[in-house]
Amino acid sequence: MSAVLLQIENLVTAYGKIEALKGVSLEVAQGKITCLLGPNGAGKTTLMFTTAGILKPKAGSIRLAGEEIAGKAPHAIVERGIALVPENRLVFPHMTVLENLQAGAYQRSNRDEIEGDIEKMFARFPRLKERSAQEGGTLSGGEQQMLSVARALMSRPKLLLMDEPSLGLAPLVIEEIFRIVSELHRDGATIFLVEQNAHMALKLAHHFYLMEQGKVTFSGDRGSLAEDEVIRRAYLGTARS
Amino acid sequence: MIADLLQNSLDGLAQGSSYALLAVGFTLIFGVLRQVNLSYGPAIMAGCYAATWTHLHFGAGLISLALIAIAGAVLAGAYVERLCFAPHRRAGAGSAVGSPVAAMVASFALWMQFEEAATVLLPKHLYAFPPLYSGAPLTFGPFFLRIEALVTLAAAIAICALLAWILWRTRFGLAVRAVIESQRAAELAGINVPWVFVRVFALASAIGGVAGYLVVATHGQITPMLGMWSTLKGMLAMMLGGLGSLPGAVLGGLVLGMIEVHSQWYLGPQSRDLIAYLLLFVLLALRPAGLWPARTQG
Repeated sequence: MSAVLLQIENLVTAYGKIEALKGVSLEVAQGKITCLLGPNGAGKTTLMFTTAGILKPKAGSIRLAGEEIAGKAPHAIVERGIALVPENRLVFPHMTVLENLQAGAYQRSNRDEIEGDIEKMFARFPRLKERSAQEGGTLSGGEQQMLSVARALMSRPKLLLMDEPSLGLAPLVIEEIFRIVSELHRDGATIFLVEQNAHMALKLAHHFYLMEQGKVTFSGDRGSLAEDEVIRRAYLGTARS
Repeated sequence: MIADLLQNSLDGLAQGSSYALLAVGFTLIFGVLRQVNLSYGPAIMAGCYAATWTHLHFGAGLISLALIAIAGAVLAGAYVERLCFAPHRRAGAGSAVGSPVAAMVASFALWMQFEEAATVLLPKHLYAFPPLYSGAPLTFGPFFLRIEALVTLAAAIAICALLAWILWRTRFGLAVRAVIESQRAAELAGINVPWVFVRVFALASAIGGVAGYLVVATHGQITPMLGMWSTLKGMLAMMLGGLGSLPGAVLGGLVLGMIEVHSQWYLGPQSRDLIAYLLLFVLLALRPAGLWPARTQG
């Protein structure tokens, strides 16, 4: 039985008067891949941003290895060991690949270790090494995704959050991204992954949650719900009568 | 004819150097915060007024006055940042405040406050300010070069070089560039964005303080209008060069200086501002991004 690394309880986040998260509760187990599925507008990105400190919750709790982190500033969240690979990558477009990686290591001070990690990233992502002096904005979608992942990894996070890494990418590239996610897990990472591509996500996830309209509506291990049922609800939500 | 052209160009570059510095400071704040700080010039004026007051009551050397002007501008700038911009940060969902327009309006209010405070401190409309240099200008051939102009030019070059070094060779500079490119991505990378804002404000105010000091020391006088004047020249140069672009700010400042001096020579002193604004209008109509545009977000 794995330890719980991230515990979210009754989280409420609102945009003005509109509640995007209406009391979300879920857990992410240490060393596993947990997946969050759900239709557009369900609140998945809101949940990621709230966990990363970009948004402040109205109520509820987020605990990382037992420590309460809800409402902390984004840099404090990174300091505590959570890194988010955001939807749409958000690479620094006019900074080089190398500078993007250095930015990811901003909070770290040991130069030798940082350079060592950069070499490791280049070994894991050879295409980034080829383009290390190129500006981030000139990379292809798939390369930007890798850069975004590598940048997040540079802070040596305990928990890696990924928001729709396959968005807008070609099928072959998506396969590569998921292969990388799988590799990271094999190397010990704990990953909390939001995906629209339910088919691919379910192949990887040990545990998944389904989110609809601001709440978690289903929770289960791989295989606990028929895949086509999951996919239908992930894309379309439950039928409203 | 050619001699006049060259002489005017020389003067224009010197004049333009102080405009370039004003524009660079303005652009730093705009680039990082994405907001227009209408108290930028007034904070500079506050620093220069502090220097003037010190000189009137205690007498002080050139270097001391420069340092007081810079320190005063930085303090005034910090006051502006805390009061106008910090509360209106994008505070995330559910925040009661968060309007960038509110921040700009607040900075306008502080502009008024700085002007009032300056008039209370030193009630006369105009005060003499110890000039940088009182001697004759350097001559070489048919050309004159005033020492103050040379100092201004040199200061501008030195500051731009220093700024470039900070931005491209230091960890802090990496953080600043990251925030300029994408505040959200910078937050996610673990950069303490509010901390960066405060320091960029200080840096921008210090640069502005240098520019302000050079202007009043060159002209040998100071008025409360320095605030509005600095903001105007800074904004004009910034728009000419390209909103949010640092090389554009430098180029815009130099071009503005050249335009002013040349139009004053050929068309008389009244034409100076008219030609500058006319050119801005034409430029924005034909090339709205400016002379050296900031690259758009990827």
